[in-house]
Amino acid sequence: MSAGRSLHLRLLAAAAVSVTLALAVAGVVLSDLFAGHVRARQERELANHLDQLAAAVEPDASGRPALIRPLSDPRFQRPLSGLYWQVSAGDLAVLRSRSLWDAALALPGDGLTDGDLHVHQTLGPEGAPVIVAERLLRFAGGDDGRFRLAVAEANAELNRAGGEFNRTLALSLVALAGVLVVATAVQVSIGLQPLRRLRSELAEIRAGRRERFELGLAPAEIVPLIGDLNHLLEHSAEVVARARVHAGNLAHGLKTGLAVIGNELDLLDPVAAATLRPRLDDMLRQINHHLGRARAAAAAGLPGWRTEVAPVVVALRRTLLSLYADRPPAITIECSSFLTFAGEKEDLEEVLGNLLDNACKWTAGQIQVSAHTTHDGDDDEGSVGKAASQQQCDTWIKLEIEDDGPGLPEGREAEILNRGVRLDESVPGTGLGLGIVRDLTALYGGRVAFSRSSLGGLKVTVLLPESYQCAAASNFRPPQNWIYPIDIM
Amino acid sequence: MRVLVVEDDAALGPQLREALAGAGYAVDWAADGEEGYFHGETEPYDAVVLDLGLPKLDGLTVLRRWRKAGVAVPVIMLTARGHWHEKVEGIDAGADDYLTKPFRMEELLARVRALIRRAHGHASADLACGLVRVDTRTARVTMDGAQVSLTAHEYRVLVYLMMQKGQVVTRTELTEHIYAQDFERDSNTIQVFIARLRKKLGEGLIVTVRGLGYRMDAG
Repeated sequence: MSAGRSLHLRLLAAAAVSVTLALAVAGVVLSDLFAGHVRARQERELANHLDQLAAAVEPDASGRPALIRPLSDPRFQRPLSGLYWQVSAGDLAVLRSRSLWDAALALPGDGLTDGDLHVHQTLGPEGAPVIVAERLLRFAGGDDGRFRLAVAEANAELNRAGGEFNRTLALSLVALAGVLVVATAVQVSIGLQPLRRLRSELAEIRAGRRERFELGLAPAEIVPLIGDLNHLLEHSAEVVARARVHAGNLAHGLKTGLAVIGNELDLLDPVAAATLRPRLDDMLRQINHHLGRARAAAAAGLPGWRTEVAPVVVALRRTLLSLYADRPPAITIECSSFLTFAGEKEDLEEVLGNLLDNACKWTAGQIQVSAHTTHDGDDDEGSVGKAASQQQCDTWIKLEIEDDGPGLPEGREAEILNRGVRLDESVPGTGLGLGIVRDLTALYGGRVAFSRSSLGGLKVTVLLPESYQCAAASNFRPPQNWIYPIDIM
Repeated sequence: MRVLVVEDDAALGPQLREALAGAGYAVDWAADGEEGYFHGETEPYDAVVLDLGLPKLDGLTVLRRWRKAGVAVPVIMLTARGHWHEKVEGIDAGADDYLTKPFRMEELLARVRALIRRAHGHASADLACGLVRVDTRTARVTMDGAQVSLTAHEYRVLVYLMMQKGQVVTRTELTEHIYAQDFERDSNTIQVFIARLRKKLGEGLIVTVRGLGYRMDAG
């Protein structure tokens, strides 16, 4: 899942960007407001100092200004304390605070008139920037008794306060941003929860543990989507069911017709019948093959097929014992009860039914069926492992059907899987059975192999994909591993 | 031996009837499920050939209803699809054998023969009693090795009695098992058939049990 495609990441990124922007703007505005406030306060303070200075400066006998009482703030006395005052006549500093030491405030020349209070930025002692408030003072009676009174405070003070505030502000805003992003993440996670549930339900449907999406707890925005998905699921199931019914009807109609033609052939002159009979058999093979494939192909695309193996084996055994009631073979079953095939029941029945029927035809009395889970790369199944990755299947069912019959002639294994080929014409059958087994197995990405059984006859090994082992969903629960003894009649 | 054919196809039905009749059976043909169910429930057949895809009442339902009603006649079902799914369902519903369409008539006759034989507990297709032998596969009757020619009715009476060897078979039972439904029945003709069989195969073969019926003794 790339970042661009994840709703989760997308929503988070958008939230992070907008939170950062909003908080940055808030930070700038707050910082400005604070700076303005501090500055106004400082100006007010400077004005107070100025008033005090004006009240403390009186002309002496020679008409020069003199400080008649010290100013209250002790910082005026401490050298380079950052708070200064100065009385100038023209450009010349005539009286200075002790804190100025031997420096003077450089006052910009401006048209200061009576009663004005001017505030400037200028340089103080040691070139440190200061803020200066100044006003004119005129002694009564003196013509030329105009003095500029100035009080200055170092900017450092102001800057320190602003810096401290900004640091605190930045820390708070970053913390706030963190909280907001986390809150958004939680919100997104809660908001996307229904989608996540939908996804896990879909996985369950694919695994066959569920038939449709749950509508119950879904939020109103998702309900129509779930409805549509359920509708789609039902629709595909219906289409398959309908196709199957049609295929069945077609098969019934065609085969009944073929039966009639076949029977009429028997009444014909044997030479004519001999030329038509193979055509008839071929038609039948074509019908069986293609109808089977069509049905299987339709079913294989559907998610959620899941078939328990054990009940199918048991039902087939019951059926075969009834069909071979003349000489009932002993059929031993060894099958873990929770083994489930990731496919359709009818397909498993076809595969197992044909193989078991074959075993029943040839057996001298003993047949063994076993079904186990096997993993990729088990013994010689390397090639199946590769097919597995395409099929998203990591476990397989290994079905082994063995009999004590005559077995296969050497080197003819490949041949018997071919459609319609029969190695022995003396035992009834159409020769289609193993072809169907091959087709169905291939459809599920599995494999068929032949070898010699320890019982003496043929051993057929089939690998089919296994579904999740989900004991909770199982209605069929005999003991963990159950074995039928050789018990039949 | 009497066989019921339940098959809706207008061509296959008569073909089955002809073939079975040719093999020596008395055959009734029902063309839909309801009619088939009624025949099977009311008449004592020795075997039934039952198609699964039937109008009105499908084959499986017919079969289940028969079994529920205690009708134990051996049934061979005809399926078109030949899926194991159908076979399992059919056998579980009470069928004894199945045949996938299209089938060879010889195959069907062999299956029907085997079913009837199995139902009567005979392992072999050959029936024997004294010097008389019947090969049910070919409907050939021999007496001390020499072929004897019998009519269809005589053959049915003989085979039915041989199947029930050692047991008393009433005249009504014989009538029910040798005539098809649409045949005009007359239980007196049974006496005629028995007389002809005795003439062709020897007097001692069939014993009359007075007031009850007939019996063929083992040996």
